[in-house]
Amino acid sequence: MARMKFLCDADRCIECNACVTACKNEHEVPWGINRRRVVTINDGLPGERSVSMACMHCTDAPCAAVCPVNCFYTTDDGVVLHSKETCIGCGYCFYACPFGAPQYPRVSNFGTRGKMDKCTYCSGGPEADMTQAEYIQYGTNRLAEGKLPLCAEMCSTKALLAGDGDIIADIYRERVVTRGYGSGAWGWRTAYGETIQA
Amino acid sequence: MTSRAFAAAMVALFAAVALLFSAMPETMAQQVTPTASSVQEDELLRALQTGENVSGRVSIPDRQAGELIKPDNKGWADLSQGTLQTFAVGILVVALIGLALFYFIRGRIALEGGFSGRSILRFGWFERLAHWMLASTFIVLALTGLNLVIGRAVILPIVGENAFGTLSSWGKIAHNYLAWPFMISLAIVFVLWIVHNIPGRIDLEWIKQGGGFMKKGVHPPAKKFNAGQKIVFWCVVLGGAAMSYTGVMLLFPHLAGTGADWQFYQVVHAVVAGLLSAVILGHIYIGTLGMEGAFDAMGKGEVDENWAEQHHSLWAREVKSAAVSPAKSDEAIAPAE
Amino acid sequence: MLVKRRTAQAAHGRLASAAAGLGAKTIDRRSFLRNSGLAVGGLAAVSTFGVGMARKAEAGFVNASQPIEIRKNICTHCSVGCTVTAEVQNGVWVGQEPTWASPINRGTHCAKGAAIREIVHGDRRLKYPMKKENGQWVRISWDQAIDEIGDKMLEIRDNSGADSVYLLGSAKFSNEGAYLFRKFAAFWGTNNVDHQARICHSTTVAGVANTWGYGAQTNSYNDIRNSKTVIFMGSNAAEAHPVSMQHVLSGKEQQRANVFVIDPRFTRTAAHATEYVRMRSGTDIAIIWGLMWHIFENGWEDAEFISQRVYGMDAVRAEVAKWTPDEVERVTGISEEQMRRVAETFATQRPATFIWCMGATQHTVGTANVRAFCDLLLATGNVGLSGGGANIFRGHCNVQGATDFGLDIGNLPCYYGLAAGAWRHWSRVWDVPYEYFVSRFDAVPAKGGRNARTAEENMAIPGIPSTRWFDATMYDAEEIDQRDNIKAMIIFGHGGNTVPRMADAQKGMNALDLLVVADPHPTTFAALHDRPDNTYLLPISTQLECAGSRTASNRSLQWGEKIVEPIFESDNDYAVVYRLADKLGFSEEMFKNYEMVQGKFSMEPTPESILREINRGGWSTGYTGQSPERLKAHMANQDKFDLVTLRAPADDPEVGGDYYGLPWPCWGTPEMRYPGTHILYNPNIPVKDGGGAFRPRFGLEREGETLLAEGSWPVDSEIQDGYPEFTMAVLKRLGWDADLTPEELATIERIGGGDPEAIDAVSWSIDLSGGIQRVAIEHGCVPFGNGKARAIAWNLPDPVPVHREPIYTPRPDLVADYPTLPDAMQFRVLNAGHTIQQAAVEQGLAQQFPILLTSGRLVEYEGGGEETRSNPWLAELQQDMFVEINPADASARGIVDGGWVWVTGPEGGSRARVKALVTERVAAGVAFMPFHFAGWFQGEDQRGKYPEGTDPIVLGESVNVITTYGYDPVTGMHEGKATLCQIAAA
Repeated sequence: MARMKFLCDADRCIECNACVTACKNEHEVPWGINRRRVVTINDGLPGERSVSMACMHCTDAPCAAVCPVNCFYTTDDGVVLHSKETCIGCGYCFYACPFGAPQYPRVSNFGTRGKMDKCTYCSGGPEADMTQAEYIQYGTNRLAEGKLPLCAEMCSTKALLAGDGDIIADIYRERVVTRGYGSGAWGWRTAYGETIQA
Repeated sequence: MTSRAFAAAMVALFAAVALLFSAMPETMAQQVTPTASSVQEDELLRALQTGENVSGRVSIPDRQAGELIKPDNKGWADLSQGTLQTFAVGILVVALIGLALFYFIRGRIALEGGFSGRSILRFGWFERLAHWMLASTFIVLALTGLNLVIGRAVILPIVGENAFGTLSSWGKIAHNYLAWPFMISLAIVFVLWIVHNIPGRIDLEWIKQGGGFMKKGVHPPAKKFNAGQKIVFWCVVLGGAAMSYTGVMLLFPHLAGTGADWQFYQVVHAVVAGLLSAVILGHIYIGTLGMEGAFDAMGKGEVDENWAEQHHSLWAREVKSAAVSPAKSDEAIAPAE
Repeated sequence: MLVKRRTAQAAHGRLASAAAGLGAKTIDRRSFLRNSGLAVGGLAAVSTFGVGMARKAEAGFVNASQPIEIRKNICTHCSVGCTVTAEVQNGVWVGQEPTWASPINRGTHCAKGAAIREIVHGDRRLKYPMKKENGQWVRISWDQAIDEIGDKMLEIRDNSGADSVYLLGSAKFSNEGAYLFRKFAAFWGTNNVDHQARICHSTTVAGVANTWGYGAQTNSYNDIRNSKTVIFMGSNAAEAHPVSMQHVLSGKEQQRANVFVIDPRFTRTAAHATEYVRMRSGTDIAIIWGLMWHIFENGWEDAEFISQRVYGMDAVRAEVAKWTPDEVERVTGISEEQMRRVAETFATQRPATFIWCMGATQHTVGTANVRAFCDLLLATGNVGLSGGGANIFRGHCNVQGATDFGLDIGNLPCYYGLAAGAWRHWSRVWDVPYEYFVSRFDAVPAKGGRNARTAEENMAIPGIPSTRWFDATMYDAEEIDQRDNIKAMIIFGHGGNTVPRMADAQKGMNALDLLVVADPHPTTFAALHDRPDNTYLLPISTQLECAGSRTASNRSLQWGEKIVEPIFESDNDYAVVYRLADKLGFSEEMFKNYEMVQGKFSMEPTPESILREINRGGWSTGYTGQSPERLKAHMANQDKFDLVTLRAPADDPEVGGDYYGLPWPCWGTPEMRYPGTHILYNPNIPVKDGGGAFRPRFGLEREGETLLAEGSWPVDSEIQDGYPEFTMAVLKRLGWDADLTPEELATIERIGGGDPEAIDAVSWSIDLSGGIQRVAIEHGCVPFGNGKARAIAWNLPDPVPVHREPIYTPRPDLVADYPTLPDAMQFRVLNAGHTIQQAAVEQGLAQQFPILLTSGRLVEYEGGGEETRSNPWLAELQQDMFVEINPADASARGIVDGGWVWVTGPEGGSRARVKALVTERVAAGVAFMPFHFAGWFQGEDQRGKYPEGTDPIVLGESVNVITTYGYDPVTGMHEGKATLCQIAAA
C-alpha cells in the first residue's frame, strides 16, 4: 500500500512559489491561510537553499497526538487529515507541529482562531469524496480522482515531489547520484524518522 | 604648513584613497560556489540548540512562517501528552482522595453546641452575586478545560466522535465566553475582599493549630477570614489572574508572540488550572460537606451566631458590637468559606 | 487505496445522534447569540467563534456530474510559453490542471502561472468603459467611448498631425493582435507605435540582428539541457522565467554543467550556480572583454569558426587587448583568477551558452553589451549548435511576437524596416495602394535647423521610443523632429511605471490632450496623473478570453483557445481595434482580407484569418509556414514532441518531423510543411530540417573583405561555400529558376511589375509565392544566404563595443576614461546623456548618492504589475514594495529589516517610501528595488485615484520614481539597471 509523502529537493527549489499559488488556486484558500509556503535558508549567502514546506503528513503525527478532540485521522495512504466538524480551533496542533503546518483563519477583529486548516495532500476530508461540502471545508479531492497534489504537479523545476514515499525517495536518490551532491530530504528525519542516503 | 608636512599629508591621503579602492575589489571578488556550499539539513539540525528552529526568510508577513523545522515542538507534544496530562489528572485525583480520606477520618466538622437559631449577616447580596458568578464560571471553565485534557480518553469512547465534537465545540465556546464574566467577577471579588485578606499575626496562630480541623473542639480565633480562607483567596486571585492572562494570550494568539510563547502560556495555563482546581475542590468541600453551617454563609448570606462564634470569633464579636451601635452599614464585608 | 474516516460515526445510538444534531447549531452564529444572551465582547467577539473558512464556493468547485470542457491556452505572463489547461464548466473556468504534454513546461508553472485562473474571475478588473468627467470616473458605453475617442483623435490629427497620436501597444497582444495594431498605425499614418520590447530587449534585437541576422533567442529553453557551460549575465531566470530553470537545472545535473551567474546581486538563480561572480552593474563590456582577454591570450578561441563564419574579429581583438586583468579589476571589481576560470571554462567546456536579460539590456550601452556577448559566443564558436547559442530570455508572453510584427517605431511587420520597399511589400500583402499610406502620413516642416521632409520621407523615419514619449509632450515643438508634440496617448496593455523618470511621465500625462488606456486593469497610466477629463479606460479582455497565437521566447508559436467569454463588459483587442478603425474611417480597407464574425458587441476579425494574412506576408522571418491549422495540430499533439530536440517523429501523420510550435523561420507556404527552426544558424543539419547559416544582410563585402561564409555551409547544401540571399537573378544564374512552378513564376513577375530588372530583384523576402524559398531549400540552401556574422557593426555608434560608464556612475573617477557617447538627436528627440553625465560628475552626485541602485523582477509579479497585484493569490506573497540593502549599509544608517525607509534619487528631488529588506543578496554600496509596484507616488497613496473597485490589492512606490535619465543610442532603451540613490530610515 502506498505511503504518500512530500519531498522537496532543495537543490531544485528556486522559491518560485508556484506550489503556494497552485494550492490557493486548487482549493480557493483564502488570504492569510498558507497551507504551503517556501522558506529560504541562508538568504543571500552562498549555499542559500529554498524549501517548500507544508504538512508533511508525519508518521505518528504529533498534531494527532495532542489534539484534545481527536479530530485527526490517517488515511490508508498515510495522509494525515482532520475533521473540521470536530476541530475546536484550540491551536494545540500548531504548538506540536514541527513544520508550522496548521493554519487558523482569523475570524474577527480580535484575531482569535477559527477551525484549523492545513494541507490535505489534495485529498479532501471526512465528507463524502468530491462533494461540494467536502470542497467548501477542505478543498478539492485530487487523490480520489487519481491525481497527486497540485503543488507538486505544478512545481516549476520539479523540485517538489509527491507520491509514494519509496518512489519519490528513489527519484531523489537518483538525482543526487546524477548531480554528485545533495542537500538532504528536508524534514524527512523529523516527519518520518528516516532520511534518504544516496 | 611646511611643504614637507604637506607632502606627508598628501601621501597619507593617497594611501587612504588607495586603500579604499584596493579594499573594494577584494570584497567584491570573493569567490562563491553556491552549489558546493549548499546548506545541509542534517548540519543545521545538529547545530541547533534547545529551543532553536531551522529558519529562513519568507515573503509573507507572517514571520513565524519562516520557521521551517521546529524539532522542539515534539517536545511540547510529549510534555502536553505526558507530564502535563499526568500532572493535571494526578493533582485532582490526589485532591479528591485526600478529601475523601479527611472525610472518613475527621468526618463532618459539626457545629458544637448546635444552632442558636439567631443568625447574623455574613455576606450581602452583591458579595454573594460576585462569589457565585466567579464560582459558577470557574466550574464551567474547569470542566470544559478538563475536557480538553481527558475528554478524548474518557468521554469520547462513551458518546462517540460526533457527539464529542459537538460537546467540545460548545465547551470551547463556553470556555471562551465565560472567561469574561469569570475575569470580571474575579476583579470584583478582589476589590471587595482584599481588605480582609491581608495576612496578620493571628493567622500564624491559626495555621499553627491547623485551623482546628484536626482536633475536635479546637477553634483558633479568626477575624472575618481565617488564614485558610486567606490562602484560598490569594490562590484564587493570583491563580485566576494567571489563568486570565495566559487565557487571553491563548485566545488572541497574535498578541502573544511566537509559537514558543503560545506553548509557554499553554503550559502555565494547564499547570495553574490543575493546582487551582485542587484548591477549589478543598474549598468546595469545606463550604458544603465538610463543615456544618458553612454553606449558609454563601447560601443565605446569614450564618448562625454559634457558627460565627465558633469559627470566626473575633469577627462575630465585632459584628455584634457594631449591631449595638446603630447606623452601620448592613453590607458587612465578610468572606466565604 | 483511499479511505475516508467512517469509523466512530454514530457509535452510540441516540445520545450520539442527538448531540450530533446540535453540531449544526454550533455553526449558526445567530442562533448561538440568541440562545446565549451574552453580550460580552459584543458582536466582534461572536464572530471569533466562526467555523470553517469563508470563501467563494461557486468558483473553484468542479462538479463531477456535469460535463467538463478542457481548453488550452498559453500563460499570459513571461515568454517561456507554458501551456495552461483549463477545466470549464457552464462557461466558468473552474479548475486548472497540469499540462503534462507540453514539452516546454511539462505540467509545471511558476507562481503566476499557477494562479492564472484568478485573472478571469478577478473582481478588480476594469468592468466597463469609463471616462473622467471633472476629475471623476464615470461609466460610459462602448459606443460613446469609441465615438468620443475617435472624434478627439481626428481633431488632433487635423490640428497637429498623425504623428501627434502615440500608439503604444502591448507585448501581451496575441500575434494577430500585435500585427493588427501595427497595421492600424500604418493606416493611421504614424511610426509612433511601440510596445514593451523597447524597454526589455530592444537592445538585444538590435545587437543580435546586427551581428548575425535575426533578433531572437538562437536556441531554446529545452536545448539548454545540452549545454556543458551556462553563463547567466543580467538574468535572474529563477524569478523571471522560473519554468526555464527546469531545463537549466536538469541539464546542470545531467551534464554536470558549469553554471556561472554574473550579476550585481546574489539572486535566486545565483544560489543554484556552480559559481557566482559579483559584478558592478553597468560594466558588462569590461567583463566580456576581460574574459576574451584570457581567451585570446591563451589561444582558447575557435580559430576555424572565426575564419569561416566571422567578419572583423581582429577589431575586437584590438579592443580586448586594452582590457588587461588589472584594468578589468579596477573597473568591474572582479579578480583575475576568477575571470580566467570563467573564461577558460566557457571557451573549453563546450557547448556553452550565454543567457542574458534586462540586467544587460537596460543600459545606455545596452546594444553594445549585447554585441559584446555575441562576440564572446562567436570567438568561442558557440553559436549555431545544439547546447550553445545566445539564449535570450524574453520578458512578456508575446514580446517576441509583438517585436516580430513590428510594434516598433522602426519596423513594419517581420523586420522589413520602413524603407519604400517594405511599405510596397506590405501594400501588396494588404492589397492597398502604396500611395494610400503616403497620403496618411504627415509632412514635416523645416524647424530647429533641420530640413523639412515629405510625407513619403517621414514614412521611412522611425518614431519616438516609448521611453521618451513624455519628453515629446513637453519639449518645445521646435526641438521635436516631427510636425508637432505628442498630444494623445492610446495605450493598449502597457504599464506606466516601467519606464524611468516617473515624475516627468506624470507631467507628460497631465500635458496630453487625450489619454486612452485600453487594458484589463487600470494601469499607472490611469492613476498617476491629475487629469480632470479627456481620459478614457477601455476594458480589454486578457488573452485567456480570446483566441490567437503567441510566440514564445524560443520562436515557437502556440495557439491559445478562448477559455471563457470576456468577463464583465470587456472585449478583445481585435474587436476594439476594428471599432476604432471603423470610427476613424479606414476599417474597410484595413479589414478587407479578414473573415469578419459577430463578436461580443461588434463585428470582429477572426484571428485565423489575420494569421493567414501574416502567412502571406511574413517571408523575411519565416512566419509563412505556421498556418492556424498547423498550430492547432501542434497543440493537439503536444505529447509527440521530444523534450530535448523539440521534434516530433517523422512518421506522425499530423505533425511528423515538425519542431514544436514551428519556431520561425518556418519557410515557405504551410503546404511545404517546413518543420521550423529549432536552432538558428545551425549548419550541422540540412536546411530542410531546420539548418541554417548566418544571414548576410549587410552587403557582400566590406573594405575588400568578403561578408560571405568561407568554407562553411549547411549539411547537404548544393552550394558549398558562402552565398548571398536568393533573388530571381540568383536563381537564374544557378539555373534553378526552372524549378519554379508557373504559378510561382507568375506571382514573381507580377511583383516585378513586368519589368525584367525588377523581376530579377524579387527576393526570397518579397516573393509572395514562396517559390524562391522553396527552390533554395530544395537545393539545400538557406533562402537568406550564407554569410558571416559581424564582429564589426559599422552602422552602430560603437562598431566594436566600448565600455562606457553609466550616466550616474558610482565611479566618477572612471568617466574621463570611459565617457558616455556625445549628445545627439535620436528618434526625433535629443539624447543629452553626455551633458548630464558630465554635470553629475561635476556636482559630485556620487558622494551625495553613494549607493548604486539596480532593479529587477519578482517571481510573483510581472511587468507594471497591475494584473498580478490585483490577484490575491499572488498579492499575498509580496505585500510591500521594498529596497534590498546590505547589512553594513543598513546598520550605518540605523535601518532595520522590515522598517520604512526613504530612497532618494539624484534627479528632481525624487524620493520613495518603501520597506527595507536587509540582506546579503546585495553587496555593500548596492541597493535593489523590484519594479512591479505603483499606486504610491513619492510617499502619497494614490489608491483613491483608481476607479472604485479596480485598485490593485497591493500598491507601492515604483522604482522608476528614482531611476534616471539615460538612453541607448541605437534603440532608445532606458537605463534601468544602474543609477544612484541614498537611503535613510523613515
